[in-house]
Amino acid sequence: MAASMVPRRMCGAGVIFHLKCGVRCLSVSAARNGKFIPPVRAEAPEIPGLEPITYADRMYYVPGLARPRNTDWDRGWSDPRYYRAPPPEQMKLFREQPAYLFHRSCRLLGGVKQALWLTKTKLNNGLPQRIMDICEDPVYQIPNHEELVHNVVANACLWHRPGDQPIREEYCPKLLQGLLHLCQKQNNKFPALSQRSLVENCRLAASWHRESSIYQVRGINGFLLSSKNPLKPVASESEIQATKEHRLESLYPLSPAIDLQEVNVYEERNDAGFRPGYPFPHPHTVFVMDPCSTRAGFLPDQLRAKMIMLAYGSALAKARNLFGEDAKVLPEPILVQSIGTDGQHFHFLVFQLNTLDLVSEDGVKNIVWMDSDQSLYSSARLVAKVKRKIVEVPAGVCGLQPETFKKFWAMYLHGAN
Amino acid sequence: MALCALARAFSALAVSSHSVSPLLISQTLPSRGLLTTASLSNIKPWKTRTKYTINPIGVKKTGGRDHTGRIRTRGIGGGHKQLYRMVDFQRLNYVPGQEPRPFQEKVIEVRYDPCRSADIALVAGDKRKRWIIATENMQEGDLITSSGHIGRMAVSAKEGDAHPLGALPVGTLINNLEFQPGKGAQYIRAAGTCGVLLRKVNGTAIVQLPSKRQIQVSETCVATVGRVSNIDHNKRIIGKAGRNRWLGIRPSSGLWKRKGGWAGRKIKPLPGLKSYVQLPSALPAPR
Repeated sequence: MAASMVPRRMCGAGVIFHLKCGVRCLSVSAARNGKFIPPVRAEAPEIPGLEPITYADRMYYVPGLARPRNTDWDRGWSDPRYYRAPPPEQMKLFREQPAYLFHRSCRLLGGVKQALWLTKTKLNNGLPQRIMDICEDPVYQIPNHEELVHNVVANACLWHRPGDQPIREEYCPKLLQGLLHLCQKQNNKFPALSQRSLVENCRLAASWHRESSIYQVRGINGFLLSSKNPLKPVASESEIQATKEHRLESLYPLSPAIDLQEVNVYEERNDAGFRPGYPFPHPHTVFVMDPCSTRAGFLPDQLRAKMIMLAYGSALAKARNLFGEDAKVLPEPILVQSIGTDGQHFHFLVFQLNTLDLVSEDGVKNIVWMDSDQSLYSSARLVAKVKRKIVEVPAGVCGLQPETFKKFWAMYLHGAN
Repeated sequence: MALCALARAFSALAVSSHSVSPLLISQTLPSRGLLTTASLSNIKPWKTRTKYTINPIGVKKTGGRDHTGRIRTRGIGGGHKQLYRMVDFQRLNYVPGQEPRPFQEKVIEVRYDPCRSADIALVAGDKRKRWIIATENMQEGDLITSSGHIGRMAVSAKEGDAHPLGALPVGTLINNLEFQPGKGAQYIRAAGTCGVLLRKVNGTAIVQLPSKRQIQVSETCVATVGRVSNIDHNKRIIGKAGRNRWLGIRPSSGLWKRKGGWAGRKIKPLPGLKSYVQLPSALPAPR
C-alpha cells in the first residue's frame, strides 16, 4: 500500500540510486529510507502473441486482471482548450545544455555581487559627474519642486480610502507614476524631452555565454523609457581600458547560477521588444519597482541586482541589434540607466555596456555607477504614532528629501539637456 | 375573478412540478447511490512531495490519530498552526555529478523551527539551498564543510562540519548521527544534545548517546561536530497549563492514582552496547 505511493524508481534496485543522488522520500517514514523495498509491478509485461485479459468489460477494477489500455481519443481538429504539451524532451527547442534564466521574480541570493559577476561589470559608487552636474545646475531645476514632490508623495501614500493606510502594492506604482508625470510636465521647457516614449510591461529577451554556461534575461522589463537618440557614453576610452586590471569577486561557495531558473527548452534570442522602424529605438531608463508586500519584498540588495540585470539585458539586446551577434568590444559603448524603488527608497544606476565578450574573465569589463538607498521621505502616515502621550512619528509626509527627486530628475533629463 | 387566477396559478405550478420531477429522477438514477460516510477520496495527505523544497509547507494536524482514524498517541491535539520545513538530515548529500569531493556551504539564516526543539539553518552551496539542523554557535555567513573522506590522520574539525566518524578524533562531541551509512541522521537531533565519540575499533566507532547509552556504528557513518543549537531549551518556563495547549499537548487525566511501583527512583544498570554494524542492509559492507 505504502510502497505504491512511492515513485517506482525509489523501490527495489532504486535504493542505491536513491542513496547516491540523495533524493528524499517523504511519503514514507524515515525508517524505510535505507531499506530494500520489493518493487511493486505496476503494469503486466507485454508478451507478443498473447492478449492480456483485462477488466474492460466488467467496468470495474479486478485485482488479478490487467488494466485496459484505451487509446487517446483524437477529436480530429486542434482545440487550444484541450492542448497537451509534449514532454520537454520532444519539444523542438529542447537542448541538452541547460540555460539559466533571469526573470523579474528572481531574487538573487548573491545580490549585487552575483549580478556583477554574471554581467562582468565593475562597480563604481556614486553617480557619474555628468549627471551630478545636471543635478546641481540651477538652470535645470524645476521651480518649487519641493512642494510638487510633497504633493506627489501625499497623493500616493495618504490620499486613499478614508482611515486606511495604503499597502505597498498600491502606493509604490502611484508614487513612481506621479514622479514621472512631474517630469513629463517639463516638456515645454526642454523640447528634447518630447522625443521620448514610456512603455509599460515591454518584453525583453537577451542571451549571453559566460564561462561555458548560457544565461538569459527574459520576460517583462518594467517601465522602459526609450528615446530617439542614444545616450552618450559616460566613461572615456582610457577609463574603459583601465577596467582590464579589475578582478571580479568570487561567489564561492555559491554558484553564480543560484536562484536563476534552469531550463532545457529555450531559444537564444536577443530582442528589445520593438519592431524595426520604431521611432524611439534606444533604451534610456528602466524603472524597476518592488511592488511586493512588505513581508515578501525584495531586499534592497536583491532589487539592485535586478536593476543591474534588467539594464544590462536592455543594453545587450540593443547592442546585438546594432553591432551583430559576433561583436566583441563595442566601438560605441551603450548606456542604459535604471531607477529602482520600493516606494520609499530609491536606487539610481547607470550601466555602460563596453563589451559583449563575456566568456573569459580577461579583457575590458562593463561599468556600472550606483547610488543606492536614497530615501525620498522618512514617513508618510495617516495617523500619528503616539506612545505615552509623546508623538513619535507625526501624521502626514515628513522628512521629505528633495535631493532624491533632484537625482531622479537629472537622470530623466540626461540626454535631453 | 381573483379566485380563478389563483387556481390557474396553482395548476400551473402543479404542471410545472410534474414536468420537472421525472427529469430529476432520471438524472439522479445513475449516480453512485447514497453514501453513508463522507467520501475520503478528496483528502490529500500533505506529505506527498518527493522533490525537495526550502519553502515552508502547511501541515495538517493529526490529533494523535493514525490513518484509520483511531487514537494512536494520547494527549495530542490542538495548538498553534505550524509550517513544516524540510530538513535535510542527510548531511553528506552530494550535488549530482560531484560525488566524492568534500564540499562547502554558506549559512544564510539561522531560525526557529516550530516542528522541532532545535533551531534550523538555511545553507546554500553551488546551485542548491537546504535546511539543516543548526549547531550551537552557527551564525549567518559561516562556511561549513561536509566530507566523506576518511584519512590516515584524524581531522581537526571545527564546529558545524560533517565528517565520517572514522575521520574524527576520539573524544569529539558530535550530533546528528546516522547509524547506517547514507541513511540520514536519526540520533542526537534534539536541542542542546551531543554525543561523544568514545573509541574506534576495527572499522567501527562506539558513540555515547545523550542518554549515556553506547552504540556501535560503522565508521563511515557521518556526524556533525559540536552540540545542537538552542541549548537553553530545557530551561524555558512553560508557566501555565495553557501554554502546553499552545504546543499541542493535551492535559493528562487528573484522576488520582495510588502511587505504586512505578513511582520513585530506581537504580537499573544501563542497557548494554547496541551494535548497528551486523544488521543486514542493502548497503555495501563497511570498510
